Amino acid sequence: MSSKVKHHTDQEVTPQQGTIRSYIIGFLLSVVFTLIPYYLVVYKTLEGTVLLATIIGFAVLQLVVQVVFFLHLGREKKPRYNLLFLISTVGIILVVVVASIWIMNHLHYNMSATDVADKVSTDEAVYNVEGKQVGTCSGEASTSHKIELKNGTAVPRHVYARLCDTLTIVNLDETARTINFGPPQDPGSYAGETSAAIYPRRNTVITLTEPGMHEFYDPALNGVFGDFTVTP
Amino acid sequence: MVAKHKENHEAVADERVAFGFWVYLMTDLLMFAVLFATFAVLRNNTHGGPSATELFSLPFVLIETLILLTSSFTAGIGMLAAHMGNKKQVLTWFGVTFLLGLSFLGMELYEFRELIHEGHTWQSSGALSSFFTLVGTHGLHITSGLIWMGTTLGYIWVRGLNSHLVRKLTLLSLFWHFLDIVWVFIFTIVYLMAFV
Repeated sequence: MSSKVKHHTDQEVTPQQGTIRSYIIGFLLSVVFTLIPYYLVVYKTLEGTVLLATIIGFAVLQLVVQVVFFLHLGREKKPRYNLLFLISTVGIILVVVVASIWIMNHLHYNMSATDVADKVSTDEAVYNVEGKQVGTCSGEASTSHKIELKNGTAVPRHVYARLCDTLTIVNLDETARTINFGPPQDPGSYAGETSAAIYPRRNTVITLTEPGMHEFYDPALNGVFGDFTVTP
Repeated sequence: MVAKHKENHEAVADERVAFGFWVYLMTDLLMFAVLFATFAVLRNNTHGGPSATELFSLPFVLIETLILLTSSFTAGIGMLAAHMGNKKQVLTWFGVTFLLGLSFLGMELYEFRELIHEGHTWQSSGALSSFFTLVGTHGLHITSGLIWMGTTLGYIWVRGLNSHLVRKLTLLSLFWHFLDIVWVFIFTIVYLMAFV
Protein backbone atom coordinates (compact mmCIF):
# COMPACT_ATOMS: atom_id res chain seq x y z
CA MET A 1 0.00 0.00 0.00
CA SER A 2 2.67 2.44 1.03
CA SER A 3 4.75 1.75 -2.04
CA LYS A 4 1.69 2.14 -4.24
CA VAL A 5 0.88 5.54 -2.75
CA LYS A 6 4.47 6.66 -3.10
CA HIS A 7 4.55 5.57 -6.67
CA HIS A 8 1.39 7.51 -7.30
CA THR A 9 2.55 10.76 -5.71
CA ASP A 10 5.89 10.63 -7.50
CA GLN A 11 4.09 10.57 -10.79
CA GLU A 12 1.55 13.09 -9.64
CA VAL A 13 3.61 16.12 -8.79
CA THR A 14 5.47 16.65 -12.04
CA PRO A 15 2.87 16.29 -14.81
CA GLN A 16 0.45 18.96 -13.63
CA GLN A 17 3.11 21.64 -13.30
CA GLY A 18 5.38 23.03 -15.93
CA THR A 19 8.95 24.12 -15.43
CA ILE A 20 10.21 27.65 -15.81
CA ARG A 21 11.97 26.48 -18.96
CA SER A 22 8.78 25.18 -20.57
CA TYR A 23 6.98 28.45 -19.79
CA ILE A 24 9.76 30.56 -21.29
CA ILE A 25 9.96 28.40 -24.44
CA GLY A 26 6.16 28.50 -24.75
CA PHE A 27 6.06 32.25 -24.31
CA LEU A 28 8.83 32.96 -26.85
CA LEU A 29 7.28 30.60 -29.41
CA SER A 30 3.84 32.15 -28.99
CA VAL A 31 5.26 35.66 -29.45
CA VAL A 32 7.11 34.56 -32.59
CA PHE A 33 3.98 32.84 -33.94
CA THR A 34 2.06 36.08 -33.38
CA LEU A 35 4.62 38.39 -34.99
CA ILE A 36 5.23 36.29 -38.13
CA PRO A 37 1.58 36.28 -39.37
CA TYR A 38 1.24 39.93 -38.30
CA TYR A 39 4.15 41.05 -40.50
CA LEU A 40 3.09 38.73 -43.32
CA VAL A 41 -0.27 40.51 -43.36
CA VAL A 42 1.09 44.03 -42.88
CA TYR A 43 3.77 43.75 -45.57
CA LYS A 44 1.67 41.53 -47.84
CA THR A 45 4.62 39.21 -48.42
CA LEU A 46 2.21 36.52 -49.51
CA GLU A 47 -1.14 36.95 -51.22
CA GLY A 48 -4.70 35.71 -51.22
CA THR A 49 -5.39 32.10 -50.34
CA VAL A 50 -1.73 31.31 -49.57
CA LEU A 51 -1.57 34.13 -47.03
CA LEU A 52 -4.90 33.06 -45.55
CA ALA A 53 -3.77 29.45 -45.18
CA THR A 54 -0.43 30.58 -43.70
CA ILE A 55 -1.92 32.76 -40.98
CA ILE A 56 -4.46 30.08 -40.06
CA GLY A 57 -1.54 27.64 -39.93
CA PHE A 58 0.27 29.92 -37.49
CA ALA A 59 -2.87 30.19 -35.32
CA VAL A 60 -3.01 26.40 -35.14
CA LEU A 61 0.73 26.22 -34.30
CA GLN A 62 0.05 28.80 -31.60
CA LEU A 63 -2.75 26.59 -30.26
CA VAL A 64 -0.41 23.59 -30.13
CA VAL A 65 2.31 25.63 -28.36
CA GLN A 66 -0.12 26.90 -25.73
CA VAL A 67 -1.70 23.50 -25.17
CA VAL A 68 1.70 21.81 -24.78
CA PHE A 69 3.68 24.46 -22.88
CA PHE A 70 1.00 26.24 -20.87
CA LEU A 71 -1.72 23.64 -20.38
CA HIS A 72 0.78 20.72 -20.26
CA LEU A 73 -1.69 18.43 -21.93
CA GLY A 74 0.95 16.12 -23.38
CA ARG A 75 2.27 15.25 -19.92
CA GLU A 76 -1.08 14.23 -18.53
CA LYS A 77 -1.29 10.88 -16.77
CA LYS A 78 -2.94 7.98 -18.60
CA PRO A 79 -5.81 7.59 -19.37
CA ARG A 80 -5.70 10.98 -21.05
CA TYR A 81 -9.30 12.04 -20.57
CA ASN A 82 -8.49 15.75 -20.90
CA LEU A 83 -6.78 15.23 -24.23
CA LEU A 84 -9.58 12.98 -25.49
CA PHE A 85 -12.13 15.57 -24.49
CA LEU A 86 -10.19 18.28 -26.28
CA ILE A 87 -9.91 16.21 -29.45
CA SER A 88 -13.63 15.41 -29.52
CA THR A 89 -14.46 19.07 -28.89
CA VAL A 90 -12.20 20.13 -31.76
CA GLY A 91 -13.99 17.55 -33.92
CA ILE A 92 -17.39 19.05 -33.12
CA ILE A 93 -16.01 22.54 -33.69
CA LEU A 94 -14.70 21.60 -37.12
CA VAL A 95 -18.10 20.22 -38.09
CA VAL A 96 -19.97 23.25 -36.77
CA VAL A 97 -17.64 25.91 -38.17
CA VAL A 98 -16.64 24.37 -41.49
CA ALA A 99 -20.15 23.16 -42.29
CA SER A 100 -21.71 26.52 -41.37
CA ILE A 101 -19.31 28.43 -43.58
CA TRP A 102 -19.71 25.95 -46.40
CA ILE A 103 -23.50 25.87 -46.32
CA MET A 104 -23.92 29.59 -45.83
CA ASN A 105 -21.54 30.40 -48.68
CA HIS A 106 -23.56 28.25 -51.02
CA LEU A 107 -26.79 29.75 -49.79
CA HIS A 108 -25.29 33.17 -50.24
CA TYR A 109 -24.10 32.36 -53.71
CA ASN A 110 -27.31 30.79 -54.88
CA MET A 111 -29.91 32.88 -53.17
CA SER A 112 -29.67 35.46 -50.47
CA ALA A 113 -32.46 37.90 -49.61
CA THR A 114 -30.82 40.61 -51.73
CA ASP A 115 -30.47 38.26 -54.65
CA VAL A 116 -34.19 37.48 -54.55
CA ALA A 117 -35.02 41.18 -54.58
CA ASP A 118 -32.51 41.78 -57.36
CA LYS A 119 -33.94 38.94 -59.36
CA VAL A 120 -37.46 40.31 -59.18
CA SER A 121 -36.45 43.83 -60.18
CA THR A 122 -33.43 43.74 -62.47
CA ASP A 123 -33.63 40.20 -63.76
CA GLU A 124 -36.99 40.58 -65.39
CA ALA A 125 -36.99 44.36 -65.60
CA VAL A 126 -40.41 44.15 -64.00
CA TYR A 127 -41.25 46.72 -61.39
CA ASN A 128 -44.31 46.96 -59.26
CA VAL A 129 -45.77 50.42 -59.30
CA GLU A 130 -49.04 50.77 -57.42
CA GLY A 131 -49.80 47.12 -57.90
CA LYS A 132 -49.27 47.18 -61.66
CA GLN A 133 -46.34 45.61 -63.42
CA VAL A 134 -44.46 48.07 -65.56
CA GLY A 135 -41.19 48.00 -67.49
CA THR A 136 -40.07 47.30 -71.00
CA CYS A 137 -39.92 43.59 -70.58
CA SER A 138 -42.93 42.90 -68.36
CA GLY A 139 -44.75 39.81 -69.45
CA GLU A 140 -42.16 38.92 -72.13
CA ALA A 141 -40.79 35.44 -72.33
CA SER A 142 -37.02 35.43 -71.91
CA THR A 143 -34.02 33.18 -72.15
CA SER A 144 -31.05 33.55 -69.84
CA HIS A 145 -27.46 33.65 -71.00
CA LYS A 146 -24.34 33.28 -68.96
CA ILE A 147 -20.78 34.57 -69.08
CA GLU A 148 -18.30 33.14 -66.61
CA LEU A 149 -15.32 35.11 -65.39
CA LYS A 150 -12.81 32.42 -64.54
CA ASN A 151 -9.01 32.38 -64.17
CA GLY A 152 -8.83 35.95 -65.43
CA THR A 153 -10.75 35.42 -68.66
CA ALA A 154 -14.37 35.67 -69.78
CA VAL A 155 -16.08 32.61 -71.26
CA PRO A 156 -17.74 32.79 -73.77
CA ARG A 157 -16.38 35.89 -75.47
CA HIS A 158 -19.50 36.48 -77.58
CA VAL A 159 -23.12 36.12 -76.56
CA TYR A 160 -26.06 36.40 -78.94
CA ALA A 161 -29.40 37.15 -77.34
CA ARG A 162 -32.82 38.54 -78.03
CA LEU A 163 -34.31 41.66 -76.48
CA CYS A 164 -35.61 41.06 -72.94
CA ASP A 165 -33.36 38.03 -72.43
CA THR A 166 -31.18 38.13 -69.36
CA LEU A 167 -27.41 37.98 -69.19
CA THR A 168 -25.80 36.66 -66.01
CA ILE A 169 -22.14 37.42 -65.44
CA VAL A 170 -20.69 35.08 -62.82
CA ASN A 171 -17.39 35.77 -61.09
CA LEU A 172 -15.79 32.41 -60.28
CA ASP A 173 -12.46 33.92 -59.25
CA GLU A 174 -11.45 34.82 -55.72
CA THR A 175 -11.01 38.52 -56.44
CA ALA A 176 -13.70 41.12 -57.08
CA ARG A 177 -14.16 42.19 -60.69
CA THR A 178 -15.46 45.41 -62.16
CA ILE A 179 -17.09 45.30 -65.54
CA ASN A 180 -17.25 48.49 -67.59
CA PHE A 181 -19.48 48.74 -70.64
CA GLY A 182 -18.25 49.91 -74.02
CA PRO A 183 -14.84 49.47 -75.64
CA PRO A 184 -11.93 50.63 -73.40
CA GLN A 185 -11.07 53.54 -75.69
CA ASP A 186 -14.69 54.74 -75.69
CA PRO A 187 -16.47 53.87 -72.41
CA GLY A 188 -20.23 53.69 -72.63
CA SER A 189 -23.11 52.36 -70.65
CA TYR A 190 -25.73 49.66 -70.79
CA ALA A 191 -29.27 49.99 -69.44
CA GLY A 192 -28.26 53.11 -67.57
CA GLU A 193 -25.20 51.58 -65.90
CA THR A 194 -21.62 52.40 -66.80
CA SER A 195 -20.15 49.57 -64.75
CA ALA A 196 -21.00 46.68 -62.48
CA ALA A 197 -19.01 45.35 -59.53
CA ILE A 198 -19.07 41.58 -59.05
CA TYR A 199 -17.73 40.18 -55.80
CA PRO A 200 -15.96 36.81 -55.70
CA ARG A 201 -18.38 33.90 -56.17
CA ARG A 202 -21.26 36.28 -56.86
CA ASN A 203 -22.99 37.29 -60.04
CA THR A 204 -24.75 40.19 -61.63
CA VAL A 205 -27.83 39.87 -63.80
CA ILE A 206 -28.45 42.29 -66.66
CA THR A 207 -31.75 42.48 -68.49
CA LEU A 208 -31.03 43.09 -72.13
CA THR A 209 -33.27 46.06 -72.80
CA GLU A 210 -31.03 47.83 -75.34
CA PRO A 211 -30.54 46.28 -78.77
CA GLY A 212 -27.25 46.29 -80.65
CA MET A 213 -23.73 45.01 -80.10
CA HIS A 214 -22.23 45.94 -76.75
CA GLU A 215 -18.75 45.41 -75.42
CA PHE A 216 -17.61 45.00 -71.84
CA TYR A 217 -14.20 44.81 -70.18
CA ASP A 218 -12.49 44.82 -66.80
CA PRO A 219 -10.32 47.96 -66.55
CA ALA A 220 -8.01 46.20 -64.08
CA LEU A 221 -7.48 42.97 -65.99
CA ASN A 222 -6.66 42.65 -69.69
CA GLY A 223 -8.00 39.12 -70.05
CA VAL A 224 -11.57 39.95 -69.05
CA PHE A 225 -13.51 41.32 -72.02
CA GLY A 226 -16.22 40.27 -74.43
CA ASP A 227 -19.37 41.39 -76.13
CA PHE A 228 -23.03 40.61 -76.36
CA THR A 229 -25.30 41.21 -79.30
CA VAL A 230 -28.96 41.89 -78.66
CA THR A 231 -31.39 41.53 -81.56
CA PRO A 232 -34.97 42.84 -81.35
CA MET B 1 1.88 7.28 5.97
CA VAL B 2 -1.35 8.92 7.05
CA ALA B 3 -0.11 12.18 5.67
CA LYS B 4 0.81 10.46 2.41
CA HIS B 5 -2.62 8.89 2.29
CA LYS B 6 -4.30 12.24 2.78
CA GLU B 7 -2.09 13.79 0.14
CA ASN B 8 -3.11 11.07 -2.26
CA HIS B 9 -6.79 11.73 -1.58
CA GLU B 10 -6.29 15.39 -2.22
CA ALA B 11 -4.41 14.72 -5.40
CA VAL B 12 -7.26 12.55 -6.66
CA ALA B 13 -9.80 15.21 -5.66
CA ASP B 14 -7.69 17.88 -7.39
CA GLU B 15 -7.61 15.82 -10.50
CA ARG B 16 -11.38 15.33 -10.48
CA VAL B 17 -12.01 19.02 -9.99
CA ALA B 18 -9.52 19.86 -12.73
CA PHE B 19 -11.21 17.44 -15.10
CA GLY B 20 -14.64 18.90 -14.30
CA PHE B 21 -13.28 22.34 -14.97
CA TRP B 22 -11.71 21.13 -18.20
CA VAL B 23 -15.13 19.86 -19.33
CA TYR B 24 -16.55 23.31 -18.62
CA LEU B 25 -13.75 24.91 -20.67
CA MET B 26 -14.47 22.62 -23.60
CA THR B 27 -18.19 23.53 -23.58
CA ASP B 28 -17.17 27.17 -23.40
CA LEU B 29 -14.93 26.54 -26.38
CA LEU B 30 -17.94 25.15 -28.26
CA MET B 31 -19.83 28.35 -27.55
CA PHE B 32 -16.94 30.41 -28.89
CA ALA B 33 -16.80 28.16 -31.95
CA VAL B 34 -20.45 28.92 -32.72
CA LEU B 35 -19.78 32.65 -32.33
CA PHE B 36 -16.76 32.27 -34.65
CA ALA B 37 -18.94 30.50 -37.22
CA THR B 38 -21.54 33.27 -36.99
CA PHE B 39 -18.85 35.87 -37.48
CA ALA B 40 -17.35 34.01 -40.44
CA VAL B 41 -20.75 33.87 -42.13
CA LEU B 42 -21.72 37.50 -41.42
CA ARG B 43 -18.35 39.22 -41.74
CA ASN B 44 -19.06 40.65 -45.20
CA ASN B 45 -22.61 41.77 -44.43
CA THR B 46 -21.64 45.32 -43.59
CA HIS B 47 -24.96 46.80 -44.74
CA GLY B 48 -23.16 49.42 -46.83
CA GLY B 49 -20.95 50.39 -43.88
CA PRO B 50 -17.17 50.60 -44.01
CA SER B 51 -15.18 47.40 -44.29
CA ALA B 52 -13.19 45.90 -41.42
CA THR B 53 -9.92 47.36 -42.79
CA GLU B 54 -11.24 50.86 -42.20
CA LEU B 55 -12.52 50.04 -38.70
CA PHE B 56 -9.61 48.18 -37.12
CA SER B 57 -6.08 49.23 -36.31
CA LEU B 58 -3.69 46.27 -36.55
CA PRO B 59 -0.83 47.69 -34.41
CA PHE B 60 -3.34 48.36 -31.62
CA VAL B 61 -4.59 44.78 -31.74
CA LEU B 62 -1.02 43.44 -31.88
CA ILE B 63 -0.23 45.22 -28.62
CA GLU B 64 -3.43 43.83 -27.07
CA THR B 65 -2.37 40.34 -28.17
CA LEU B 66 1.16 40.67 -26.81
CA ILE B 67 -0.20 41.93 -23.49
CA LEU B 68 -2.51 38.93 -23.18
CA LEU B 69 0.25 36.48 -24.19
CA THR B 70 2.54 37.98 -21.55
CA SER B 71 -0.20 37.73 -18.92
CA SER B 72 -0.62 34.05 -19.76
CA PHE B 73 3.14 33.59 -19.23
CA THR B 74 3.18 35.45 -15.90
CA ALA B 75 0.21 33.36 -14.74
CA GLY B 76 2.28 30.25 -15.52
CA ILE B 77 5.26 31.55 -13.52
CA GLY B 78 2.82 32.42 -10.71
CA MET B 79 1.62 28.81 -10.73
CA LEU B 80 5.21 27.56 -10.35
CA ALA B 81 5.56 29.82 -7.30
CA ALA B 82 2.24 28.52 -5.95
CA HIS B 83 3.43 24.91 -6.20
CA MET B 84 6.59 25.90 -4.33
CA GLY B 85 4.46 27.59 -1.66
CA ASN B 86 6.03 31.01 -2.18
CA LYS B 87 3.24 33.42 -1.21
CA LYS B 88 5.13 36.61 -2.04
CA GLN B 89 6.01 35.45 -5.54
CA VAL B 90 2.45 34.22 -6.14
CA LEU B 91 1.09 37.64 -5.23
CA THR B 92 3.72 39.37 -7.41
CA TRP B 93 3.29 37.26 -10.55
CA PHE B 94 -0.49 37.05 -10.36
CA GLY B 95 -0.53 40.75 -9.52
CA VAL B 96 1.33 41.40 -12.78
CA THR B 97 -1.09 39.06 -14.58
CA PHE B 98 -4.01 40.99 -13.10
CA LEU B 99 -2.63 44.35 -14.25
CA LEU B 100 -1.87 43.04 -17.74
CA GLY B 101 -5.39 41.59 -17.93
CA LEU B 102 -6.81 44.89 -16.79
CA SER B 103 -4.88 46.82 -19.47
CA PHE B 104 -6.04 44.32 -22.09
CA LEU B 105 -9.65 44.85 -21.02
CA GLY B 106 -9.11 48.60 -21.01
CA MET B 107 -7.81 48.50 -24.59
CA GLU B 108 -10.73 46.35 -25.71
CA LEU B 109 -13.24 48.73 -24.12
CA TYR B 110 -11.41 51.68 -25.69
CA GLU B 111 -11.71 50.06 -29.12
CA PHE B 112 -15.43 49.43 -28.57
CA ARG B 113 -15.95 52.99 -27.38
CA GLU B 114 -14.18 54.43 -30.44
CA LEU B 115 -16.24 52.27 -32.80
CA ILE B 116 -19.53 53.20 -31.13
CA HIS B 117 -18.47 56.83 -31.00
CA GLU B 118 -17.97 56.80 -34.78
CA GLY B 119 -21.45 55.32 -35.19
CA HIS B 120 -20.41 51.71 -35.81
CA THR B 121 -22.59 50.07 -33.20
CA TRP B 122 -23.85 46.61 -32.48
CA GLN B 123 -27.02 47.42 -34.41
CA SER B 124 -25.28 48.81 -37.53
CA SER B 125 -24.91 45.58 -39.48
CA GLY B 126 -24.74 41.82 -39.26
CA ALA B 127 -20.96 41.99 -39.44
CA LEU B 128 -20.72 44.38 -36.48
CA SER B 129 -23.33 42.46 -34.45
CA SER B 130 -21.32 39.28 -34.77
CA PHE B 131 -18.05 41.16 -34.12
CA PHE B 132 -19.29 42.77 -30.90
CA THR B 133 -20.84 39.49 -29.74
CA LEU B 134 -17.69 37.44 -30.31
CA VAL B 135 -15.13 39.93 -28.99
CA GLY B 136 -17.51 41.13 -26.24
CA THR B 137 -18.06 37.57 -25.00
CA HIS B 138 -14.31 37.15 -24.74
CA GLY B 139 -14.12 40.47 -22.88
CA LEU B 140 -16.79 39.29 -20.43
CA HIS B 141 -14.76 36.16 -19.78
CA ILE B 142 -11.68 38.30 -19.14
CA THR B 143 -13.74 40.44 -16.76
CA SER B 144 -14.93 37.44 -14.76
CA GLY B 145 -11.38 36.05 -14.79
CA LEU B 146 -10.13 39.32 -13.32
CA ILE B 147 -12.80 39.30 -10.59
CA TRP B 148 -11.92 35.69 -9.79
CA MET B 149 -8.20 36.52 -9.74
CA GLY B 150 -8.76 39.59 -7.57
CA THR B 151 -10.76 37.71 -4.93
CA THR B 152 -8.38 34.72 -4.91
CA LEU B 153 -5.37 37.02 -4.48
CA GLY B 154 -7.22 38.78 -1.67
CA TYR B 155 -7.74 35.43 0.10
CA ILE B 156 -4.07 34.51 -0.38
CA TRP B 157 -3.00 37.91 0.93
CA VAL B 158 -5.07 37.47 4.08
CA ARG B 159 -4.96 33.73 4.74
CA GLY B 160 -1.73 32.70 3.09
CA LEU B 161 -1.33 29.83 0.62
CA ASN B 162 -3.17 26.59 1.34
CA SER B 163 -3.98 23.59 -0.81
CA HIS B 164 -7.51 24.84 -1.41
CA LEU B 165 -6.26 28.18 -2.76
CA VAL B 166 -3.56 26.51 -4.85
CA ARG B 167 -6.29 24.39 -6.44
CA LYS B 168 -8.26 27.58 -7.14
CA LEU B 169 -5.21 29.15 -8.74
CA THR B 170 -4.66 26.05 -10.88
CA LEU B 171 -8.16 26.31 -12.29
CA LEU B 172 -7.83 30.06 -12.70
CA SER B 173 -4.61 29.70 -14.67
CA LEU B 174 -6.27 27.04 -16.87
CA PHE B 175 -9.08 29.52 -17.52
CA TRP B 176 -6.58 32.28 -18.27
CA HIS B 177 -4.53 30.18 -20.74
CA PHE B 178 -7.81 29.14 -22.36
CA LEU B 179 -8.86 32.78 -22.88
CA ASP B 180 -5.43 33.43 -24.36
CA ILE B 181 -5.96 30.65 -26.91
CA VAL B 182 -9.42 31.96 -27.82
CA TRP B 183 -7.90 35.41 -28.30
CA VAL B 184 -5.22 34.06 -30.64
CA PHE B 185 -8.05 32.91 -32.91
CA ILE B 186 -9.89 36.21 -32.58
CA PHE B 187 -6.64 37.98 -33.52
CA THR B 188 -6.22 35.77 -36.58
CA ILE B 189 -9.79 35.34 -37.79
CA VAL B 190 -11.34 38.69 -36.90
CA TYR B 191 -8.43 41.09 -37.27
CA LEU B 192 -5.66 39.60 -39.45
CA MET B 193 -8.02 37.98 -41.95
CA ALA B 194 -9.78 41.30 -42.51
CA PHE B 195 -6.55 42.64 -44.00
CA VAL B 196 -5.76 39.67 -46.24
